[in-house]
Amino acid sequence: MGGVQKKKFERGSATNYITRNRARKKLMLSLPDFRRLCILKGIYPHEPKHKKKVNKGSTAPRTFYLLKDIRFLLHEPIVGKFREYKIFVRKLKKAYGKTEWSAVERLRENKPTYKLDHIIKERYPSFIDALRDIDDALCMCFLFSTFARTGKCHVQTIQLCRRLTVEWMNYVITARALRKVFISIKGIYYQAEVMGQLITWLVPYQFSHDHPTDVDYRVMATFTEFYTTLLGFVNFRLYHSLNLVYPPKLDGKTESELKDEDEEDYAMSSESYSEKLSALSSSLARVVSPGEEEEAELDQFPADSEDMEKMEAREKEQKQLEAQKKVFEGLKFFLNREVPRESLAFVIRCFGGEVSWDKSVCIGSKYDVTDETITHHIVDRPTVDKQFINRYYIQPQWVYDCINAKILLPVEDYFLGVTLPPHLSPFVEEKDGDYIPPEKLKIMALQRGEKTAQDQEEEDDDEEEGEEDDEEDDDEGDEEEEENEEINLKKMEEQRSKGKSLQVKVTAGKVKTENSARLAQEEKAEEKRLAIMMMKRKEKYLYDKIMFGKKRKVREANKLAAKRKAHDDAEKVKKKKTRK
Amino acid sequence: MAAARRLKRVAASQAGFLTLKSAVDPDDLVSSRRKRVNKNKKKNWNKHSYINDVEDFLEDVRHQERTTGGLLSEKSDDSLFFLDVGQSEKAEQKAPEPVEGRKRRGKAPRPLRIDLILQRDSLVPPPKDVLAYQQPNAKKLRRIAQKAEQLAAKGVVPRRQKRLLNRRPVDRTVKKSAAAANNNPDRNYYDIWEEKVKDSADPWYLKQTCKGPVKRPEKLSQKPSVIPAVEVIAPGGSYNPDFLSHQALLREAHEVEVKKQKQEAKLEKQLAVNREDTATEETNLREQVEGLVEEDDEKIGDEEAAPNEDDEEAAVAAIAVAEKKTEKQRRKEKAEKIKAQRRLASRRQIDQKQQLFQLRSIKTSIKHQEHETETKQIKRKAKQEAQKAQPRRLGKLKFQATDLEVQLSDELAGSLRQLKPEGSILKDRFKSLQKRNIIEPRERAKFKRRLKVKYVEKRAFKEIA
Repeated sequence: MGGVQKKKFERGSATNYITRNRARKKLMLSLPDFRRLCILKGIYPHEPKHKKKVNKGSTAPRTFYLLKDIRFLLHEPIVGKFREYKIFVRKLKKAYGKTEWSAVERLRENKPTYKLDHIIKERYPSFIDALRDIDDALCMCFLFSTFARTGKCHVQTIQLCRRLTVEWMNYVITARALRKVFISIKGIYYQAEVMGQLITWLVPYQFSHDHPTDVDYRVMATFTEFYTTLLGFVNFRLYHSLNLVYPPKLDGKTESELKDEDEEDYAMSSESYSEKLSALSSSLARVVSPGEEEEAELDQFPADSEDMEKMEAREKEQKQLEAQKKVFEGLKFFLNREVPRESLAFVIRCFGGEVSWDKSVCIGSKYDVTDETITHHIVDRPTVDKQFINRYYIQPQWVYDCINAKILLPVEDYFLGVTLPPHLSPFVEEKDGDYIPPEKLKIMALQRGEKTAQDQEEEDDDEEEGEEDDEEDDDEGDEEEEENEEINLKKMEEQRSKGKSLQVKVTAGKVKTENSARLAQEEKAEEKRLAIMMMKRKEKYLYDKIMFGKKRKVREANKLAAKRKAHDDAEKVKKKKTRK
Repeated sequence: MAAARRLKRVAASQAGFLTLKSAVDPDDLVSSRRKRVNKNKKKNWNKHSYINDVEDFLEDVRHQERTTGGLLSEKSDDSLFFLDVGQSEKAEQKAPEPVEGRKRRGKAPRPLRIDLILQRDSLVPPPKDVLAYQQPNAKKLRRIAQKAEQLAAKGVVPRRQKRLLNRRPVDRTVKKSAAAANNNPDRNYYDIWEEKVKDSADPWYLKQTCKGPVKRPEKLSQKPSVIPAVEVIAPGGSYNPDFLSHQALLREAHEVEVKKQKQEAKLEKQLAVNREDTATEETNLREQVEGLVEEDDEKIGDEEAAPNEDDEEAAVAAIAVAEKKTEKQRRKEKAEKIKAQRRLASRRQIDQKQQLFQLRSIKTSIKHQEHETETKQIKRKAKQEAQKAQPRRLGKLKFQATDLEVQLSDELAGSLRQLKPEGSILKDRFKSLQKRNIIEPRERAKFKRRLKVKYVEKRAFKEIA
């Protein structure tokens, strides 16, 4: 066979990838600069499928980039700016070395800077794209805004992050976009729904920083640089979508008016306005004065029954959402000084509540402790000396739990000195058959509006809370065909696990009312049995398999429930003993 | 020329002019005999005409003009003479005054001698430089100026001035936008996603001149991982968790820890010294006696080696024996070969015919095969999907997840106020970026000392010690 001999590594995947060092040399940048550029432009390293082919026969671990990406980087104007900056630093060093202060000053004045606007536009061609990627930006900005100004990063960056996060929070408050809050041991998770996108972010607790040494601060600062730009533009757009003034202005008062009434103790006059904004206590100014807010109603379409059901479900959801948005409307909160002010103020205002705090805690308090109209006083200490009669003294967890439950929970469980019910994660979504903790069942029952005498019963040391709620829950969730069987099974399992308590509960009065329902149920069950009988062998096999899986799940859930019950009992016994 | 003419005129008018010094000696003239020279040649005119008298006279005139500013003969008597009436008193009085003044002022600024020498002392004014007063194109310029004046009177502004006036004034006062840094806390934002009017430039032109925007590769808009940006902690991570979920989280953390310990134990096991390898008394003794007691072994070895040699010899013989085949043998072999081939072919044919009756089983086997490939494909795809959620190997180091944030049951705070945050969010974010394949895992660069550190005791310390 003739022809020129094919050389190795001159075609195929070997030519598609480029090592980091070669890429760096091609761009004529130093490694830190290269890294910065990659972060800003959103270019990530790749792991080739066949390392050996790409690496010219060597199996040494290397970082590879796609050659096309690097070629794309060659066109970036920022690369030139980086080089300019390098020269600038060199000149500045020289001037310093020669102690030529005038030269230093001149150089400083002409310090080369660059903008990231075009990169934002390029990476996120539409606003929704940017909104989808805002999670990271929010996390980073919230994180950096809590940093101490100790020189781990630029003070200006911290200030900018703070400004942007305050703007974001103010937007969320005005848009009533918050959906979920979860207080974890790491920090506070928030979830908001902005323009149909679920956005989750994590806010660290204040003053909780130890600076870990194994984190590359330079890399993080670069990310922050990019994300601040992104978040700023997103904020602008969001503010304009709500007809708000950007940069945000407080409603009603001009800056000068505010200054007059300001106490000078909190902030310098230049900063007091931004401080007031960050207090989150008052609403923002709008471009167009708000008229009556139009309630966006779902459009009605004539449709067949299946769609109708969906429609109804959607409508119900919408209604629930509206209700959730107004959970705290008409309530007046007062924050004691030991509770996390910013988080609580943010959350309460997000759901329409009014909030204030002591004047000495922070700027922007609206009313005093002595205000008669205060309905809830949030306290996080065992006792309070002077108590007002016409308000509830509750622990902060109540606020968060109410938001997650989407209703106002009974305050009794959250009074001072009371052992709090567990704070459940709203980010867990149980499928049917999963184990659901009894506290959640209780909340679900409350959501359905079933606050009955049972609750009182439970309070006086009776312990059948879980089971009752379980049943109700099961009844509610039967949309699928297999549900019935499963319920029966569940009941049986429960009976087994809980002994005779079920029989004790049954009363004669209820039986009559259930008769018709039971008949319908029986009919349904019969139909189902017939349907199962008519199945092909293959389908039957599959069906059996599915059912087996479900049963197993239920069994596991029941096991967990039993465990929980045992634990609770043990706790109660312990408590009683300690009381005695 | 004019000066010379004047001099001539002066000389002519003054017949009895007295020269200050008589340059021409009459004796000289007498002593040297006059040489006769033809005067029909111009060269000789210059060479042999005696003009010394005239020269001297003119020199004298110039001297007078230089020193006195004119001819002495033309000056009035008053300017030349004065009546000497002895020293005046005023002069006496005036003389000491400058001395005092000099004393008072200290050093008077007396001109240097060199400056004095260089000073002009001639009283003849320097000749006027005509060129200095001449203006090139004076006439033309004058005419232009006149015309401009006329136009200005009419109120017509010349074109050049008009252009200057029309030029946009440059803002010298405003600095060149002072390019604010990216992290300026007061920076302003605008609507970047606004619908903009597309610039009308020809796309072909833009492309050819590399002025248009570069298209971003499609692949870059894909996310490198399917993991969400913010992974919410398990429900057991609540500050006031539900009992069971807390237990579940604890179990998870426990499992991670156990796994880690197992790995460590394994490593230790592998690194541990094998007990069989350690020296015992017996092995020590054997080592010491090594080489002294080994006769038996050698004998056995010899016996074993002998038969081996025989075998080798036989093999060599066999190779040597292999002889050339005869013609007959070759023919026979060929025939056999062909026969075997035929047999095989016929066998194959029969088999194929038989397969017609095996169609069913073949079908099933094909089905089986297909099913197998399908399942494999599904498996592979699932594996790939799972891989997407895994951190990739992007550099020297593998991704290492952080420890799970967990609070033990006794560490849990009763209230929000007493809560002690666990873990660092900064680290969590950093690891999340690594996990999502956005940055490669790296180690902090180690500090390498290039030069050795030399320890020297300070003298002050030495004195004490």
